[in-house]
Amino acid sequence: MPAYQLTVNGRGRTIDADADTPLLWVLRDTLGLTGTKFGCGQGICGACTVHLDGRAVRSCQTSLKEAAEHAVLTVEGLSKDGSHPVQKAWIAEDVAQCGYCQPGMIMSAAALLKRKAHPTDHDIDEAFADHICRCGSYPRIRKAVKRAAGGVK
Amino acid sequence: MTSRRDFLKVTGAAGAGLVLGLRLEAKPRLGETVKAAFQPNAFLAIRPDGTAQITVPKVEMGQGVRTALPLVVAEELDLDWSKVEVVTAHPGPEFKAMNTGGSTSVSTTWDTLRKAGAAAREMLKAAAAAQWKVPVGQCRTENGFVLGPDRKKLGYGALAEAAARLPVPKDAPLKKAADYRLVGKRTPRIDGPAIVTGKAVFGLDVRRPGQRFAAVLRCPVPGGQPKTWDDAKAKTVRGVTAVVKVPTGLAVAADSTWAAFKGRDALAATATWDEGAAKEFSSAALEAKARAALTGPADDARREGDPAKALAAATKMLEAEYSFPYQAHVTVEPMNATTHVGADTAEMWVGSQSGNRAQERAATAMGLKAEQLKVNVPLIGGGFGRRLGTDFSTEAAQVAKAVGGGPVQVVWDREDDIRHDLHHPATLHHLRAGIDGAGALAAWTHRIAGPAVLRSWLGGQKAPSQATTEANGAYDIPYAIPAIAVDFAEVEAPTPLGWWRGIQIVPNVFARECFLDEVAHALGKDPLTFRLDLLGDRGIVKFGRDAADIRRLKRVLEVAAEKAGWGRKLPVGHGLGLACHAYDGRTYAAEVAEVSVVKGRLKVHKVTCAVDCGLAVNPAGLEAQVEGGIAFGLSALFSQITWEKGRTVQTGYHDFPVLRLGDMPLVETHVIPSAEAPSGMGEPPVPVAIPAVLNAVFAATGKRIRKVPIEDGLI
Ligand code: FES
Ligand code: FES
Repeated sequence: MPAYQLTVNGRGRTIDADADTPLLWVLRDTLGLTGTKFGCGQGICGACTVHLDGRAVRSCQTSLKEAAEHAVLTVEGLSKDGSHPVQKAWIAEDVAQCGYCQPGMIMSAAALLKRKAHPTDHDIDEAFADHICRCGSYPRIRKAVKRAAGGVK
Repeated sequence: MTSRRDFLKVTGAAGAGLVLGLRLEAKPRLGETVKAAFQPNAFLAIRPDGTAQITVPKVEMGQGVRTALPLVVAEELDLDWSKVEVVTAHPGPEFKAMNTGGSTSVSTTWDTLRKAGAAAREMLKAAAAAQWKVPVGQCRTENGFVLGPDRKKLGYGALAEAAARLPVPKDAPLKKAADYRLVGKRTPRIDGPAIVTGKAVFGLDVRRPGQRFAAVLRCPVPGGQPKTWDDAKAKTVRGVTAVVKVPTGLAVAADSTWAAFKGRDALAATATWDEGAAKEFSSAALEAKARAALTGPADDARREGDPAKALAAATKMLEAEYSFPYQAHVTVEPMNATTHVGADTAEMWVGSQSGNRAQERAATAMGLKAEQLKVNVPLIGGGFGRRLGTDFSTEAAQVAKAVGGGPVQVVWDREDDIRHDLHHPATLHHLRAGIDGAGALAAWTHRIAGPAVLRSWLGGQKAPSQATTEANGAYDIPYAIPAIAVDFAEVEAPTPLGWWRGIQIVPNVFARECFLDEVAHALGKDPLTFRLDLLGDRGIVKFGRDAADIRRLKRVLEVAAEKAGWGRKLPVGHGLGLACHAYDGRTYAAEVAEVSVVKGRLKVHKVTCAVDCGLAVNPAGLEAQVEGGIAFGLSALFSQITWEKGRTVQTGYHDFPVLRLGDMPLVETHVIPSAEAPSGMGEPPVPVAIPAVLNAVFAATGKRIRKVPIEDGLI
């Protein structure tokens, strides 16, 4: 069984697990990074969103093998202290209700704003089309993305 | 000395600062006497370093209690909000009111929390006055300090020890609402920073040393049992440590969640089932039974005047059938609980809305007494009533006991969560309206047929209040109609049922407010004027155990209509619709929806909501509840659970859709200023959203939708 190398939040990690293990469970169970959430394991809810080389991906649909040799960024690595512009905007707009879906939302927002500094409403709709918030925090997510616009390098 | 009327006392050792123990409890039931000596179950501590710690006796699931309840204390006590730390209480024999549901958290604790804050404030003032040797009347408090004459100023931390030695005042004066500086202002959620950095701990994030993970293979038909299975394959999955029979199925424990899932899947391939009593259950058969029950015997929920006579005498009668499906909760955090069984104690971490019941039942399942099981309630990734159930916590205890050896986290996957939800049942509604010779609405009947949630909840027993519970939202129809009959015809269903955000009020108000709209249109009346006229000039009206203030209901209706521009000219294809309800006679909500239907596709552009829930403790949190409640209601327009061969047809978010961001309308919330004691806001926005939208669809298209979910191409 080969061990896999990947970079998680800037730190090199060696993971000894089956190739098909979803990155989600490597993060949560092997590395104890529980900020990335499990919502469906079916690629539908977006709770498990992380960045793979800067792109938003569903960690429940990304195998360890696919993630190996790449850079993974999770919500814990977005900033040291909650100072990422998206995190700050999320606080300013008081987005979270139960909060469970929010790390995934934040990672998608950060990826979107990196791609497009000033997204349109349509861009925002698209970026969150595969995210579910059962609490209905959507109006504030939209506002927070707009507030953070232009601030993500 | 304490008497049973006391609710506050100084607890805590020297050096701890000022620690006030307070008693927060559900009101004693009628005829119940409280004999026990005073046992505090919530605490308010001012530490020597000036920080304050407040125990919250309710659980946080997104409704904002961990912010709203401490705000109430901080207000009376003039705390520096930035120095407030919040801890969630542990359910236990000493604390029996962790139950969090029914939109009651603020209303049931408000008084005690205010009084505790006020008492602590007076004690700190007295301590400062003694130190300065000035009359206490010359001292006041501000943002964590006591201020005295000659610019004297001492922080709460410095006074806490001295204050702890003083008697607890009875009836400390409460602040006037006009002096509030925290209550009524927009305060962001206290857990926000932890949530956005991923540090917040939900049940599924609990990690204990040596923890294992378990998945349970359950029969797809609720109540079914495994007949045969072969665990050999499952045991070869890397990481799997045990496969054991538990009362709900077969548990696979492993050193990671993924290994537990893989082991479970390997086991599933080998299992055969005794599918049990529910195996023939189907939605089609249930609907046929419900339709038959629409004309059979029923239990009265309300009967006024002589509806049969009034209908017979009517010059015009309208009737319609409405239908609402089974619904699931689909909280984004699936069910889970972590249990550590020791020799004669155990500990559990569970996001439960019923901490006390969860504790009792899980302890029993492990052969322990409730007090031998410590229950911790982490943050909850969505409740909506699902986590009032104790099925998942009891199962987790059974699994932990069966696999032995250290902490075990039982994780449900999305399919488990949907299939083994405590679903909210489908109902059929038959409504009739009799119009008299003068063109007035003279009779109203509403028959509801479906399974009874309350019976399922009570383990199969029929409660005396069954009909009113199942007809909630229908029997308390607020309009002045001379003859009213609302009844409930029970139809048996074999799978477990549960409460859902908005409970039975959602389907019942949907049918009621849409049918009323039909009547208005049939009479050529404007739906707003028609409702206002029917509400009439009345004050407080009693409906069974509830009483609603009709003036407050009228006011929200008027405000929502005015703010939404009711009656204004709309673009082609657009329509406005409205609905209102007095929720348990406590919270008043009206919503106006603006929709368009283009090429059969419904778009909800905007929902304008007016609410009166008494004093708004935290308007930011309240507005979030309105936005979320509307999203929940709109989502239900497109989702359903259906049954075939005893199992749900739906297995995930792919076939049980949840509203997405792109479909979320603009929401405008208008909070009616009120000095009444706060009521609740978690559920009231949900039920009115559906009829407001469907009435708007009618206004836009002339098409009356009487069946939820809206099927493709129906509009
Ligand atoms: S958990 Fe990955 S998309 Fe839902
Ligand atoms: S905040 Fe609860 S699911 Fe999004």
